[in-house]
Amino acid sequence: MPEATLARIDATQQRLAHALAQVNQLLLGKTHVVRLSFACLLAGGHLLLEDIPGVGKTTLAHALARACGLAFQRVQFTSDLTPTDIIGVGIYERELGHFRFHPGPLFTELLLADEINRGTPKVQSALLEAMAEGQVSTEGESRPLSPVFTVIATQNPLDMAGTHPLPDSQLDRFLMRLSLGYPDEAAERALLSGVDRREMLRELTFQLTPADLVDLRRRARTVDTSAAVLDYVQELLGATRAHAQIRVGLSPRAGLALLAAARAWAMLAGRSYVMPEDVQAVFPAVAAHRIQVQHGANGEVLAAKLLAEVSVRA
Amino acid sequence: MTARAKPHPDRRAYALLIISAAVTLALHAPHLPLWLPVPAALLLALCWKFRRRGRRFPVLARYALVLALPLGVVASYGTIFGRLPGAALAVGLLTLKLTETETLRDARIVIATSAFVLMSALLFGQSLLQTALVCVALWPLLTAAMSLEPAAGPTRELMRGSASRLILALPIALVAFVLIPRLAAPLWGAPGMQVARTGISARMTPGAIGQLLIDDRPAFRVGFRGPIPARPLRYFRAVVLWHFDGRSWTPGHAALPLERLIIRDRPSRYTVTLDATRQTLLPALDVPVATAPGTLSTAARTLLAMRPVDHTLRYTLESATGYALSPQLVPAERRLGLQLPSDADPRARALAAQWRARYGTDARAIVAAALRMFHYGGFRYTLAPPPLGRQQVDDFLFRTRAGFCEHYASAFVFLMRAAGVPARVVAGYQGGYANRTAGYLLVRQSDAHAWAEVWIPGDGWMRVDPTAAVSPDRISLGATAAAQTAGAPWFLSGWWIGFRNRIDVVNRLWDQAVVGFDALRQHALLTQFGLDPSRWQSVALALGGALGMALAVGLALALREPGKRGDALATGFQQLERRLTRAGCVRRPGEAPVAYLRRAASSLLPPAATTLLTLAGRFAQLRYGGTQPPPPLAVRDWVRRARDFRP
Repeated sequence: MPEATLARIDATQQRLAHALAQVNQLLLGKTHVVRLSFACLLAGGHLLLEDIPGVGKTTLAHALARACGLAFQRVQFTSDLTPTDIIGVGIYERELGHFRFHPGPLFTELLLADEINRGTPKVQSALLEAMAEGQVSTEGESRPLSPVFTVIATQNPLDMAGTHPLPDSQLDRFLMRLSLGYPDEAAERALLSGVDRREMLRELTFQLTPADLVDLRRRARTVDTSAAVLDYVQELLGATRAHAQIRVGLSPRAGLALLAAARAWAMLAGRSYVMPEDVQAVFPAVAAHRIQVQHGANGEVLAAKLLAEVSVRA
Repeated sequence: MTARAKPHPDRRAYALLIISAAVTLALHAPHLPLWLPVPAALLLALCWKFRRRGRRFPVLARYALVLALPLGVVASYGTIFGRLPGAALAVGLLTLKLTETETLRDARIVIATSAFVLMSALLFGQSLLQTALVCVALWPLLTAAMSLEPAAGPTRELMRGSASRLILALPIALVAFVLIPRLAAPLWGAPGMQVARTGISARMTPGAIGQLLIDDRPAFRVGFRGPIPARPLRYFRAVVLWHFDGRSWTPGHAALPLERLIIRDRPSRYTVTLDATRQTLLPALDVPVATAPGTLSTAARTLLAMRPVDHTLRYTLESATGYALSPQLVPAERRLGLQLPSDADPRARALAAQWRARYGTDARAIVAAALRMFHYGGFRYTLAPPPLGRQQVDDFLFRTRAGFCEHYASAFVFLMRAAGVPARVVAGYQGGYANRTAGYLLVRQSDAHAWAEVWIPGDGWMRVDPTAAVSPDRISLGATAAAQTAGAPWFLSGWWIGFRNRIDVVNRLWDQAVVGFDALRQHALLTQFGLDPSRWQSVALALGGALGMALAVGLALALREPGKRGDALATGFQQLERRLTRAGCVRRPGEAPVAYLRRAASSLLPPAATTLLTLAGRFAQLRYGGTQPPPPLAVRDWVRRARDFRP
């Protein structure tokens, strides 16, 4: 690698650290979740935020977009939302004499899909397909999405009335599922007494560019995973499959997702190789929504339990 | 290729080499002249000292020693060929090699040489103890060999590894032992017989048996078909000495007819297992009725082997304890039985003449007179008699009056002959330790004995033991017990002899099963399994098959857990973890190694904490940095640092 490239990467990393710091200033006391969402972004994954309203889901999405310099769109999912509402529609233009495609909010860089479970399965599947393929097909033509296209979807786990919960197969499209939860006392006090968050958001400066993000994602893919780490990941996967309270364990794709997230996490720590600690840090966020638990069990609790049960061999 | 420093053994490998060489030296020390083992041990210590200071051994000194060694060997033995000079040379060269061991190659040479020199220790004795010691000595040697490998783990791991390899090698050794065709005589039988002569010799000179009495090795073992005879009856004749030249008794050269034997009670049947003596004399219970296959009888009915006994020999005999030997004396016998050196020992002759005058031809009365003199004449039994002058018998009888069986037998026979009673000296063994539980008799070299036989008209040759008249204990308890009062060294003390006698049953088994496993018994064993040992193809097939099977089992064991075995880094970490756990920092369930080390560091004081943090960082790089296995040298370095860490 030429020196200039190295220097540029170092500069990029520095700006990444700044971006992280900025978002942390906005979401007080949520460093772990913020770091995880950055890791998700760097691993090229989509993020599912599951929380009650008013704890800062939208703020997080917005801040991420600002800090990373991404074009931001927000779609509020409702039961009457149609696929074309998000994909876009071709409209006949008389002056031109043919149909012209008017791109929907999907053609952005960071899309906030608010209350995704309020949308109909039809819209949901359209969005999830776009997330998986990185392109949409409409009117016989496939249109590529932005190379850094990322979805942050939110849903309220308590208010389930009149919703269409995402099927398990589609939950798998999200690299991580996070929840912010209530802030602790000190953070809440600072929040209450501090400046308006929306104003702060506006004042956030771009730290990264989409090109930087592409670069960082490529770099995250080259982070080393040693045999020891692969052993550990396999043991974790095996443990989810053998656990009494888990109906369906993690798939090989989930294993790949786990590794990708761990690589991004290691890169955030400034390391060029993954350690079992990285895997452990991202495991609950990556695994909890993918394991199908027996009735009455909780994915998050089980994931934490598995980490304690599977010993890391030296 | 770029110029690189040659790999050299680290300090631990060097220490193990020194230990191996020292053990080899110790095993050879008993049969080497004193000038060799002591300086060699000092040299080893010096090598270690130089090595610790990081200095090399002075070249000039080394050259001087290399020159001095063969000179010393020649000075001691007169030659550099043969078993003992060869062993001395090999041991010396091994020690000298350590002064110039700088590279890995040198170290490997030291290991190979050590193994060879260790093996040669078996040329000097094949007892169970010796063999076991050689096997144990292989342990540090193999550990040293393993420590030279680039990915060698901690020492304890190496020691366990080498021990398990040695144990794995046992079945292979056993198969080879049973199957490899052996020569009719062991390899080590032939050379060096002049040096290692033991047992009764066919020449008796005052002092010669004195050395034997201290020699505590087993001479032979006797398994009796019936009950073991009582101790005073256990006289084993080995040689009859006719001729006296004033100093020494020898068998003489006269050709005599076989003495007639009249058996008075039921002969007892027994089997003798004789350790190698390198002589032809075969001890037999007084007195054998007939010869065993492969043995000859002398005229006086002692037994001879066809050729020198250079490995353990077994023979079965019948002996009569009640008998009359040669009731009619032939003229040649009478002449020999009265032979005396022409002008020696006038005072003894005068004494004998007195008896002759008093008792006439009553041989029994003359014998009784002599025994009375020994009993009441102020004689004492001792293993360390004062030296005798030229008039040996006179000197003993009238001046020193102290000695052991040899002196008494010699003086007694001299007196008998001078008094006109035909007499002769018999050398052999007397007593022995009867192991009642295992049902055999153990006779040691220290049981060597000399007594007399006098010819009584009508009764033939009668055994008379003048030593018994002086020291009844010699016959009822044994030579060492009789000598107790004279202040014997510790290794002749009662409890030690008793202990050794009791554990001798193990040695007997070893001798019979291993040392005595000769060509004949191998043939018998293999034939039972349908193998024809004289056809080399069948033996090769069996050997190949057995070794192949052993190899397959070994491979299966070695490949049982690929990748997990020999992970020095993991082992090193586990040891570190054990130490931290003992120090109170327990790893939490599911806690990753590096996280654990960092947490442990946070509970330590600065210097140790910094070391542990460095160790944690290094471990992370080695274990997780890169998809290739970590470089062995770096792993070794980490393991060593981790070993040195003390929380």
